[in-house]
Amino acid sequence: MKLISRTLLKIAPVKLAALAVLLTLGATATAMAQNPRIQTSQLDGLAAKASETVDVNIDESLMALTAKFLSSKDDDERKVKEIVSGLKGIYVKSFEFENEGQYTDADLESIRSQLRNPAWSRIINARSKKDGSIEVYLMHTGEQISGLAVLATELKEITVINIVGPVNLEKLTQLEGEFGIPELGLEGSKPKRKN
Amino acid sequence: MRRFIICVAVLALLGSLPVTQAKDDGFGDVVKLIEQFYHVKHQGIPLLARAGLKTATTVARISGGPRRQIAEAGSVKVAYFDDQDFKSNVSYTGFKSSMNSVLIGWSPFIQVASPKDEAQTYIYLREAGEKFNVMVVTIEPREACVVQVNLSPANLAKLMRNPDEMGNTITVDATTNDNQ
Repeated sequence: MKLISRTLLKIAPVKLAALAVLLTLGATATAMAQNPRIQTSQLDGLAAKASETVDVNIDESLMALTAKFLSSKDDDERKVKEIVSGLKGIYVKSFEFENEGQYTDADLESIRSQLRNPAWSRIINARSKKDGSIEVYLMHTGEQISGLAVLATELKEITVINIVGPVNLEKLTQLEGEFGIPELGLEGSKPKRKN
Repeated sequence: MRRFIICVAVLALLGSLPVTQAKDDGFGDVVKLIEQFYHVKHQGIPLLARAGLKTATTVARISGGPRRQIAEAGSVKVAYFDDQDFKSNVSYTGFKSSMNSVLIGWSPFIQVASPKDEAQTYIYLREAGEKFNVMVVTIEPREACVVQVNLSPANLAKLMRNPDEMGNTITVDATTNDNQ
């Protein structure tokens, strides 16, 4: 009996530790899967070919600062203040190229593979030979939207926008032209909705 | 003769200004990095004054007068690299990485590289108590400028709405006056 107890005492901590590790790994994997912040650093290699590269990073603290310090008295600022309240980040990365064919779909795979995660759902997928394509994705956490991602491509341009926090298409439209988010023409377009 | 006296007075005033030297953390590191990376040398304000560049206006700005619109008075640090070669075959991504590694504790807010125009703009932010340190680095084919200012959160919030213009706005505010 003593032997069994001793053996159990020896094994139990090991098993418990293993279980803890598994749980931690599982939790980390879930957290990563549910992370509305998409990684764009793998696109950095395109900078060498691009004629212009823009990288805008507005993290949670800067977002909070903006929401706090924009004036409530000025109509324009109040409107923006309301839109950005609660947002945890805006990240924009864009590349412009001198010629067509300087990037391929393979270059975008690092972004698309993240957006293929079931946590993301594509709400807009508009494609045009002339104007390129625009894909808009939302991430839901429970019933709330926790992030938005836009992948817009033209023959000579790539733009990736990632907004972290409670955001929707209407907010995105209102944020066009602000905080480094380019004009996407979402309001006037009639995109094909796919899921 | 009168012009000479004015020039001497301006140089004396500029020479006495304490805020133009690249000695502070972050600011000095970036100036040094640019010098090493591009094999150039920054010029102090007095030297630029001697060359007739923005003398009076620089005095007005650097001394932290009431004319400043955005930056906190007395907070401005400026280093110019005038008429030097920034076109050498350096990697933009390499320079960007070096900047990021030098500016520990600073957040990269916007980074724009335009190899076609051989131009780069970087803006970094850092919390400094109730204010924010903002550093703007602009590099063009023949000149570069490093500007560091303190901004109030309210001013920073306003400027952040238009990141493309932010660097230019801060640099202009730090180096010119309303009469220019």
